[in-house]
Parts: sequence; C-alpha cells; structure tokens
Amino acid sequence: MGFGDLKTPAGLQHLNDFLADKSYIEGYVPSQADIVVFEAVSGPPPAELYHALRWYNHIKYYEKQKASLPGKKKALSKYGPADVEDTTGSGGATDSKDDDDIDLFGSDDEEESEEAKKLREERLAQYESKKSKKPAIVAKSSLLLDVKPWDDETDMAKLEECVRSIQADGLVWGSSKLVPVGYGIKKLQIQCVVEDDKVGTDMLEEQITAFEDYVQSMDVAAFNKI
Amino acid sequence: MAAAEELTLLEKLLGLRRGNKYSAQGDRQIPVLQTNNGPSLTGLATIAAHLVKQANKEHLLGSTAEEKAVVQQWLEYRVTRIDGHSSKEDIRTMLKDLNSYLEDKVYLTGNNFTLADILLYYGLHRFIVDLTFQEKEKYLNVSRWFSHIQHYPGIRQHLSNVVFIKNRLYTNTH
Repeated sequence: MGFGDLKTPAGLQHLNDFLADKSYIEGYVPSQADIVVFEAVSGPPPAELYHALRWYNHIKYYEKQKASLPGKKKALSKYGPADVEDTTGSGGATDSKDDDDIDLFGSDDEEESEEAKKLREERLAQYESKKSKKPAIVAKSSLLLDVKPWDDETDMAKLEECVRSIQADGLVWGSSKLVPVGYGIKKLQIQCVVEDDKVGTDMLEEQITAFEDYVQSMDVAAFNKI
Repeated sequence: MAAAEELTLLEKLLGLRRGNKYSAQGDRQIPVLQTNNGPSLTGLATIAAHLVKQANKEHLLGSTAEEKAVVQQWLEYRVTRIDGHSSKEDIRTMLKDLNSYLEDKVYLTGNNFTLADILLYYGLHRFIVDLTFQEKEKYLNVSRWFSHIQHYPGIRQHLSNVVFIKNRLYTNTH
C-alpha cells in the first residue's frame, strides 16, 4: 500500500489516480488519513494532476480543524491503492505493475530504480547483519545405543541410571526401552542426540563401558544425522 | 421522481417530522406547499429552501455570500436544465458541463455540503442509474461526486445505490 514517495512525481501520480474517483483518502468524510497524506505531500500538486490538486485544496480548507477530524493516524504506507510499491522503506515491497500505470512509469523509471536500488542495498545490509547474529546451524545426530548387561540378573534400572548419568556438553538423552535378547536377558536401547562437534561415539562408548559392573558392551544400533 | 416524493425525502433527510401536503400545479407538476401562516409556496427550489430554514439547517444554503449565490445557481440549474429535459443529447451535455465543473471541487460549492448537492443528487439519480460503466468512467468527476454524495447519511433512503467501479475498466483520455 502507500503511494510511493509523495515527494516524487511518480508518487503524486499515484495519489492522483487514487483520488480520481474518491473525495477523501479513506471513507466519505475528511479524517486523519487525509491529514497524514496531506502532510506527506510537500506542496500543492501540479495543475495537471487535477484530482490531487482538488483534494489538496479541499483538505487545506480543513487545516484549522485537523485535530478534530475523525480516525487515527496510521503510517503513510497504510493508505492508498493496494498494489503500489511502498518505497518509504517502512514495509515489505510488493510488485507494483499496475496495468494502467505502465505508460506513466515511462519517464519516471530512472528515479524509481535508483530508489529501489538504495532500498535493496539497505535490505541486504539488514539481512547480513541479522544473519551474522544468528547462531550457525549446529550439526546434530541422533544415536540409538544398545547397552548389553552381563546377565539377566543385572538391574536394568540401575544400568539405565548409570548411562543417563553420563553428562556432556552437546549430549541430550532421549527415551529408552528394554529389548529382550534371549535367555531372559534384556538390553537397554536408549536414544540420544549429540552435537557432532562436541560429542563423539568413542567418548560415549568409553564412558558407558566404564560401568563395568553393569555394562558388558555397547553398540551403536542406529546413527542418523538430523 | 415526482416533486412531492422528492420533497418528502428531503424532509426526512433534514429531520423534519411533519408530513407536509404537497399539491401539484400545471402540466409540469410544479409542487405547491400550503403553509400554515402565509401564502402558498410554489416551486421546488423555493420549497426546499423553506424546508431547510424550517429545519434550522441554514448552513445548507451556504455560509458566505458567494457560497449562497452558488447554491442558488445550482438550484436554478436543477429546475431549469434538469427537470423536464430528458433527451439523450441534453443529458450528455449536462453531464459534460458538470464533469468539468466538478474537476476541482469536492462539493458543488467547493468545500461544503449544501442543498445544491442534495437537489442535484435527487435530480440526477434517475439519469446516473442508467449510465453504463463506460459512461460513468467518462464523466469521472460526476461519478466521484455522486458516489460521495450518496454515502451522506440519510440522503439515499430508498433510492437505489448506484455502483461505481473503483478500477478503471477503460483506458481513456481524461
């Protein structure tokens, strides 16, 4: 929305076209909307933009009452035709190829593109800075570990507790379950998520098998990159 | 629209309660109002102005001397040029004149809503209703003015709402 830059001829042209079939910017009575646009225009529009000029002179007539006009002031870009590119820099850009205006844009193209260029560069700079601030996407993997006890007498609850007691930066334990292997022996299948840079499977294996009383061996059953 | 009907609409718009009785005179059906304490009033513009004063809305007749004159001018226009002239040629000329007149004005007097706007609205309604979209685009200023006036609270009443398309359908010279 918006009229583009009202200080340029292109912007005034938009205003003129908009006002061709309207008496006011919004609705059917003068309101703060008219005041916002009136103040954005630097002076009376040229005589050939006679709709804009008519509106301008009319609103000027209400200048003394401007505080008492109804409505609330909104940003300039909120008024005007929906398909005009907002070059005031306060909103997202939308494509503004309105069929009627193709001819009128002819000589104003240069000015428009300079503005558009400036705007684009501004946007790029904003994007870059945002990007650098954002933390880099961390490489993570999801592991499924099989921890096997010595025999069926082993206290699996304790075993799980031991495994879960292993803490490391970048290691998050997930859900677990007991899977029977045969002869009454159950192995512990436990999931964990690790950050590749920080935690390696060797380290995990070492730490888990350190619980010699409970753990006979450990295997990586599944390794998925997230 | 018959004069009596129009005057009733006007009464409603002005907030007048009393239903005046209007009679018609002559083959042109000129409205006559018999007042309680005075002579009878003849003529649409005369009666309309009288009603406005009765309703205490004299600002509708214009505030400055020039404005008052302009209002009178358009009331006269309404009665002489619009009523009774309905050939296609006449209508077209009228709309063309009105279109160029309204180019730099929001209301007929410029900046204020007056009886001139009201009576022109009622007078032109039957013509505007029949215009094609192309014609409405051609008389862009009239369309804008008409669309604006018909939104004035209380004015349209039972009259049909004329639709004006916002997007220009026809590329034309203006």
